[in-house]
Amino acid sequence: MQAVLLKHVVQANAFVAHVVVAVMSVLGALACTLGLVACSGHVSAEPDRAGAESPADASRSSDSPRYPVEIHMPDVLRGIRTGTVDSLQRPLLAPCGSCHASGAYALRERNDPPVQGPHAGLSFRHGELRCGACHDARRAEALHLADGRTLPLVEAMTLCGQCHGTQMRDYRHGSHGGMSGYWDLSRGPRVRNHCIDCHDPHAPAYPRYQPAPPPPDPRRRPRG
Amino acid sequence: MTDRKKRRTLKILGATLGAGAFARAIAPLSALSETTSMEELLQQHYQELTPKDLQRVLRRLEAETKRDYGVDVTIEDVPPLEGVQFAYALNLSICIGCRKCAEACHEENNHDRGTGNSYIRVLEMDQGSMDMERGRTDYDHTVPAEGKFYMPVQCQQCENAPCVTVCPVEATWQEKDGIVVVDYNWCIGCRYCEAACPYHARRFNWNKPDVPAEEMNPNQAYLGNRVRPQGVVEKCTFCLHRTRKGRLPACLEACPTGARVFGNVLDPDSEIRWVLENKRVFVLKEELGTRPRFYYFFDE
Amino acid sequence: MSMHMEQTVQPPVDHSVSYPKFLWRALRAATDGGPLFYGSMTILTIVALLGANAWAKQVVHGMAVTDMTDHVSWGLYVANFTFLVGLAAGGVMMVIPAYLYRDDDMHDVVIVGELLAVAAIIMAMLSIVVDMGRPDRLWHLIPGIGRMHWPISMLTWDVIVLNGYLLLNLHVCGYLIYTRWLGRTPNPSWYVPFVFMSIFWAFSIHTVTAFLYCGLGGRPFWNSALLAPRFLASAFVTGPAFIVITLKALRARSAFQIPEGAIERLLSIVRITALINLFMAASEVFVEFYTGGSHTASARYLYFGLHGHEELVPWIWTALGLNAAAAVVLLSKPLYRRPGVLVAALVMTFVGVWIEKGMGLIVPAFIPSTLHEIVPYVPSATEWIVTAGIWAFGMMIYIVALKIGLQAMSGRLVRSDLPPAVGAVPQEAE
Repeated sequence: MQAVLLKHVVQANAFVAHVVVAVMSVLGALACTLGLVACSGHVSAEPDRAGAESPADASRSSDSPRYPVEIHMPDVLRGIRTGTVDSLQRPLLAPCGSCHASGAYALRERNDPPVQGPHAGLSFRHGELRCGACHDARRAEALHLADGRTLPLVEAMTLCGQCHGTQMRDYRHGSHGGMSGYWDLSRGPRVRNHCIDCHDPHAPAYPRYQPAPPPPDPRRRPRG
Repeated sequence: MTDRKKRRTLKILGATLGAGAFARAIAPLSALSETTSMEELLQQHYQELTPKDLQRVLRRLEAETKRDYGVDVTIEDVPPLEGVQFAYALNLSICIGCRKCAEACHEENNHDRGTGNSYIRVLEMDQGSMDMERGRTDYDHTVPAEGKFYMPVQCQQCENAPCVTVCPVEATWQEKDGIVVVDYNWCIGCRYCEAACPYHARRFNWNKPDVPAEEMNPNQAYLGNRVRPQGVVEKCTFCLHRTRKGRLPACLEACPTGARVFGNVLDPDSEIRWVLENKRVFVLKEELGTRPRFYYFFDE
Repeated sequence: MSMHMEQTVQPPVDHSVSYPKFLWRALRAATDGGPLFYGSMTILTIVALLGANAWAKQVVHGMAVTDMTDHVSWGLYVANFTFLVGLAAGGVMMVIPAYLYRDDDMHDVVIVGELLAVAAIIMAMLSIVVDMGRPDRLWHLIPGIGRMHWPISMLTWDVIVLNGYLLLNLHVCGYLIYTRWLGRTPNPSWYVPFVFMSIFWAFSIHTVTAFLYCGLGGRPFWNSALLAPRFLASAFVTGPAFIVITLKALRARSAFQIPEGAIERLLSIVRITALINLFMAASEVFVEFYTGGSHTASARYLYFGLHGHEELVPWIWTALGLNAAAAVVLLSKPLYRRPGVLVAALVMTFVGVWIEKGMGLIVPAFIPSTLHEIVPYVPSATEWIVTAGIWAFGMMIYIVALKIGLQAMSGRLVRSDLPPAVGAVPQEAE
């Protein structure tokens, strides 16, 4: 699946693709397809900004405190994988600033040759957008909204939502994007997928892949 | 007279031979006495068990699972929650037909490995058609395929459930949270419910389920995912062993795209309510009047 | 001798002594016979035992030994059940002329029809027992100790009407045979009301069995109001056809007097009902194919095959061919007057209806499945053996009951302290 996506590498000019390679290697299409069960294993326990409250007793009543709905925070929003792991076997991340210390960097244009270095292999297929449409040219850790306001990388969902309004609306109402945990928040928390868990921001089309095997022919069951 | 006597002796001989042959013919049944206890044979209907009886039944079932499958499991009686009516909705626009739900169901509910059983079947259909006859469940290519959409079908937990109506012994009924359950220890295996269900939601245990010890899900419920006996009918229970404890069903958690929405319709702030109020939902075979609690919708 | 006189003359009988004696004597009468009787009973016993053995293995190993699946969840067993209920109901076609129209010829042999009903009901019940995944839980159906879902589940209605019909016929036959053995004239108030009840009941068993299927909205192939009338029409083909074959065999192989009038009357019933049955089949075929749409998928599968699957096509065309050919023969006097032709035509229509009501009615309702998947079904060896066993067992019951019944009704089976009637004890029945 990686290979399919790599075929579509777009010459991205002046695009410091710090984030990009990380997306490819950390998540990639295949990781998305593994779905929530897999994702929830390495969830970062950052509380959802949308009214997350502290857990309390598990009784069900309308005014009982509710467990939080957490949104999974992909590594890629906090740095790039170094290829090494810490003592708990978690991948070690290098913050964007460790390379892009100067702050400002050059954004690529569409017809530039493929990106090299740590972000090699970046594919870019996101409509007619250019790198600068989302990335802040002045700071590697920052994005910017259409009106020019800057946005920290970790709040990337807000950026997605400014174009994909219907999807964002559905997401907020729990009818888009995988989840796991509790339907009843008075009994336990819930973890939601992040947009970029499933949609590579640089090539957001959901990838095709081989499904689980079809149901076996019911007449070819073990007899007796 | 001697002729009469001779005839009589021959008749007695014939009858003895016949009885002996009959005993031999049904001798295989004796194998059952080793696995079926008198307690199991005489067990009362679930709804008639006293709390004490029920506890004894649960412990017996746990011991039987240990004996037959070599696994320590916990079988609980998980009652419906107060003020909860479950409903399920499925977004056909984002379902990609990956069958992760069917696979998760297979594992979660301790389905027979030999038959690859699952309560969910996924239909691949032509875009621009709702004709199931042109759908396929046996597709085996990269998904989602061009020009296709995917429709997973499982128990619709009908409010007016034909399967419940037809059961001759009340072995299946609808609980107050809307889930249609089966008492696997009361079902006589006539499969009338299987004939009555318009959604192919019910499954029969054609043989004793085979579940390897290391793959057994040990968190089980009496009316839910405990290993079913041979010769009885089973069905999707919206994972009641999870959902009645507030958790999401296994098929929903397995869905990579979030096509599945589950919750309590009585809660006005629930996701499922939002979908029912804001999406143009439909139910399968609405004309049959079964009133499913399982809805489908497309994004606009 | 008038009834009144007899009752005044007859001394009181202690039934607790005479009834066991009667049973003992009946057992002797039932087990006496010539080489043909012993030969056929031996063969039937072997087949029945093979069936019992196959069933026992099925109970232990699970119904995976059948070819049924979650897609085709009812097969040969239920098909056979449906047919046998019809056969049982068809026996009543002798009772109606005999009692309602006081047809004397029929009255002499009406017990043949009633005993067929007994044997067929027992076979039908066995067909259900072998179809059950958990026969050890049969008691769940018993009101009081189990939980009978009556009146909601049609299957509970079927349990009631089938058992009721069995008891009614057992009572009527048993009472008549016993009083004949006692050498008395039966008291009409002890059996005539039950005979009339059994007429009503015969219609009900087959109507309820049809309702079992046609009440299911999820199975368009069954969901037709014509199903119950069709069931009755075909039942009134097979019942009389089978009885005529029996009567012909009795005439050829035993000393019993079989009045020609009875056979003629039954044949005219078969003649008419066979046509009605064909007409109804044609009506259903018209509606299915003229309407079209996905609800006709089962009919298309049955008659012409669907998506390359043609498993049932030869069956149904064989059935239609047999039924149509038999109807032609039965309507043409020069044809059916030829020796052997009549019986051949009756066998043809019997087999034709067996296919039509069995494989042709039960199986296609499941193909395609409710999700429109096509999973074919071909009965497995186990299913055939168990079914053959049930038929063999039923035929044993029928032959034995006929021996007792006809001997008693013709006055050859009576109390030893009474003078025996004229004529020798016949050696063969069937």
